[in-house]
Amino acid sequence: MNHFDEMACMLYLEGQLDPARARELVAHTGECAACRTLLHALESESHLLSTALTEENESIPARLLGARGWSVPAWVWTLAFGVFAAGAYWLWTNGISPWLDQLTNAGFGGTDLASMILFSGAFWEGWGDMADLIQIAALIVVVVGALLLIRRRLVRRVSAIAVVVAALLFALALPQPAGAADVRRGRSVYVPAGETVHNDLIVAGPSVRIDGTVEGDLIVFTRDLTVTGHVTGDVIAFSVQALIDGSVDGNVRVFTQNTTLEGSVGKNVSAITNSFDLTPKGSVGGGLIALAASADLDGKIQRDLLGIIGRTDLDGLIGGQVWIRGGTLAVASTAQVSGPAVFHGREQPVIASGAKLASPIQVEITQENRRSRRSTAALMIHEIFSYGAALLAGILLVMVFPGFYRATLRETRAIGLPIGVGALALLTGAFLIILGILLLFVGVGAGIAGVLGYAPVLYVAQVFVGAWLGTKILGESSNNANTAIGRIALGLVILHVAGLIPVLGGLTWLAVLLWGTGAVLLGFYRMSRVEIAALPA
Amino acid sequence: MNPAEQSGALERIAQARAGNAEAWGELYRQYAPAIFRFCRRAMPTREDAEDATMDIFIKVRQKLSQYDSSRPFGAWLYTVAANHCWDLLRRRKLRQDLETGEVENMPLEHPDPDALEQLIEQHSNQEVRRALDRLPARSRMALVLRYFAEMSYDDIAQTLGVRRTFVGVVLLRARHQLRDILQGSGPRNLVEEGSR
Repeated sequence: MNHFDEMACMLYLEGQLDPARARELVAHTGECAACRTLLHALESESHLLSTALTEENESIPARLLGARGWSVPAWVWTLAFGVFAAGAYWLWTNGISPWLDQLTNAGFGGTDLASMILFSGAFWEGWGDMADLIQIAALIVVVVGALLLIRRRLVRRVSAIAVVVAALLFALALPQPAGAADVRRGRSVYVPAGETVHNDLIVAGPSVRIDGTVEGDLIVFTRDLTVTGHVTGDVIAFSVQALIDGSVDGNVRVFTQNTTLEGSVGKNVSAITNSFDLTPKGSVGGGLIALAASADLDGKIQRDLLGIIGRTDLDGLIGGQVWIRGGTLAVASTAQVSGPAVFHGREQPVIASGAKLASPIQVEITQENRRSRRSTAALMIHEIFSYGAALLAGILLVMVFPGFYRATLRETRAIGLPIGVGALALLTGAFLIILGILLLFVGVGAGIAGVLGYAPVLYVAQVFVGAWLGTKILGESSNNANTAIGRIALGLVILHVAGLIPVLGGLTWLAVLLWGTGAVLLGFYRMSRVEIAALPA
Repeated sequence: MNPAEQSGALERIAQARAGNAEAWGELYRQYAPAIFRFCRRAMPTREDAEDATMDIFIKVRQKLSQYDSSRPFGAWLYTVAANHCWDLLRRRKLRQDLETGEVENMPLEHPDPDALEQLIEQHSNQEVRRALDRLPARSRMALVLRYFAEMSYDDIAQTLGVRRTFVGVVLLRARHQLRDILQGSGPRNLVEEGSR
């Protein structure tokens, strides 16, 4: 007797055997016990497979059902809120508020993105006119990023948004209409005395000299810049040498090797420069913010002086307060300071007897290598606190945002991708912050808000790298908060111990920063997918 | 799905197509658990299954206009899910077993019917699920498509990218590998496949 093979039996059970062969099989199994048993066994196997596969043995993840993770005990929320409130209060009272006050006193406050864009026509035109490649690239990155994030949510409006954005970019790329800005290029760009530019002026070339009048902003990319004429708007300069001998009604922002200010500036000056020289004839109507190796301040600053300056010689007048962090400070007898003065430096300031100070300078001597002088015990205590804080952050993450924690930890495992994303994000972030704060394109408040938004991401970066490390050592954690916290605790110990090693410690923290930040950002992205898939548009 | 449910689903699909977010939300809530369970069976880890479920629904929402309403919605959903999961697995290079012609042609030992019956009686659903997790990706996927999603041979062939006549071979081979694991000898050919 010819038996049917297993394949034929299975195909028969699955209804895949052709009718003639199926009839043969039925006839055969009526007589053959072995084939009948096989048929029965295969049928049982199919049944076993179906029940094993379809049996509901696992719960559906809460995040898939639109819920926000497992239920969080009230005390966790209270603790989280308490920690957040305490941290925010501390940050505000010790960090932001004093700085904002000082910045406002220095004349840098009160500018925010909305008022800049909506009410400052000159600013907007200037931005559009600049048409700088980096800015456009940054704009595109931001817009595309935002669109990617919201595209599903606004799926039906995406085409409209795309049209608007395309139109905006096209408008930016177009040559500016006459009257919007005057762009000049050349080996030597010269605006002679008597000539008036009735526009913003954007200039690029090895040498730029403005003896005439610019009725608008002056934006310069050059080696040598000399302004002896009159600028009614702001001066923004990227140059090796900058000499401002004329008058500027607005602000001066310079990124230069050497800056000399002999003329008058109506508003504020901010400078990132090697040497900054405010000559006796020079005057600043607002305040000065300087990041410089050396500064000679012989002229007048009507409001505050804020600086991180290696060597400061103060001979002139400061109408507001002084805050300097740096190496040395010399105050000449001709100097006059109308507000309180604070100096953080390596040496005691040298103050001439004739100097007119509203109050004695408050001095804090910064010890070199303070860290190495700190006792080992103090260092250990500091490290333990730092570890404890990071662990607390980790516990809160696991308890309050379990879905986000799991999603981010998964992203951490890829290593290469999160490191790349982290590096890109940190670079982009630094770039935007510099643009935001120093150029005041978006205002000081927005710049600080950006930093504040970044800070928690940077902080929790270590939690995820620690969790990854702990998981590597102890193995995958079950779906349980305690085991996850145990792994974080172990990983953080290793990171914090490694962080104490000279050189290697620094490299470790750098890697943690890049890797963890990238993972957190990818985690955010991953979580955003839940919203996109599940929730109404 | 009974006809009433299907007609309810069709109504919601039409509304969702027209941009009604609530209707989409209802469809999602109705089908997400089943799709998650499918992904859980098809993908190696729970996290993979969660991510895949998200991505599948994003895809479904985009493709909703392509859905042919003469077909049951659940079946169409499983097809999209199966394609997505298989795509993911293939990208992870877990599909080496597909490119192994020798394995396809390797003769399968005819089972002893009594021993097979005994083997099936001895094992619980949970043991079978554990054994399934140890199967090569394609074998597991084939069994999931057939015995969980109840897909036709045509759809399985299309999803796995194999000839229709080969689907039976894939399924039978998967059953043999599963039996080997249940017997404690591990899936035959797995070592050879894995080393390729």
